[in-house]
Amino acid sequence: MDWLEDELRRALARQDAPVGFAERVLARGRREPHGARRWLAAAAMVVVAAGAAGAWRQHQGYEAKREMMLALRLAAAPMHRIQLEVKDITQ
Amino acid sequence: MKTLLIACLAALPVLAAPQQFQLNLDSVAAKSSQHVDVSLNSATLQFAAKFLDADNPDESRVRKLIEGIEGIYVRHYNFKSAGVWTQADLEPIRAQLHGPEWSKIVGSTNAEDGGSTEVWLHLAGNKSIGMAIVATDPKEVTVVNIAGNIDLETLAKLGGHFGVPKVKDPKKEHKED
Repeated sequence: MDWLEDELRRALARQDAPVGFAERVLARGRREPHGARRWLAAAAMVVVAAGAAGAWRQHQGYEAKREMMLALRLAAAPMHRIQLEVKDITQ
Repeated sequence: MKTLLIACLAALPVLAAPQQFQLNLDSVAAKSSQHVDVSLNSATLQFAAKFLDADNPDESRVRKLIEGIEGIYVRHYNFKSAGVWTQADLEPIRAQLHGPEWSKIVGSTNAEDGGSTEVWLHLAGNKSIGMAIVATDPKEVTVVNIAGNIDLETLAKLGGHFGVPKVKDPKKEHKED
């Protein structure tokens, strides 16, 4: 069992942390909440921008529909008049 | 080379859609008291069609009607009094319609109200690929150009669905009596 004890002793031997490790850990801990907040803000901005783009597209769509209906109404009116006159003649 | 490219690009709209004519009605517009100017190309029509309500029978009819349409171009003018516009103002339009590819299918004049309506089709072989309507009365001028294939009967039927009184069939009316 000596070899096992030797292995364990080697593996679990105390080692000093690299230079500046503690500072790096503390600095990261301090940074993390701001980073998370930044990502959250960016995500919120993307959601708002996507929503605004969707609303704008919908507005444009309804505007295009309104113009299309107006154009068809103006085209249909003379056709309707002719239909009326033809019916008058054939009556 | 650059000049040639610009010239080719400038000529492109004319070459792309022969059934589409120039709605050069500046003289009429200048005399009008109110005017409506609508130009919708194929992409805009397809986009607009996405906003039609499938459950609404009228809008379903419109969706079907615009399936074959590549563009709708409308100019509508109102005048404060009769005699402001003259037939000469419409000559630039009529000159384009006198080409061999355009056939006048209906021309009607109403002596009572002084109104007239002309319907022209742009034919390619036996197929209609464009349409023009020139409708006038003393205080109104409407010029419509539809590029593509359009069902005239469906268009006429829409007259009763967009605030224009529906044509009453005298036979049906008689039966109801």
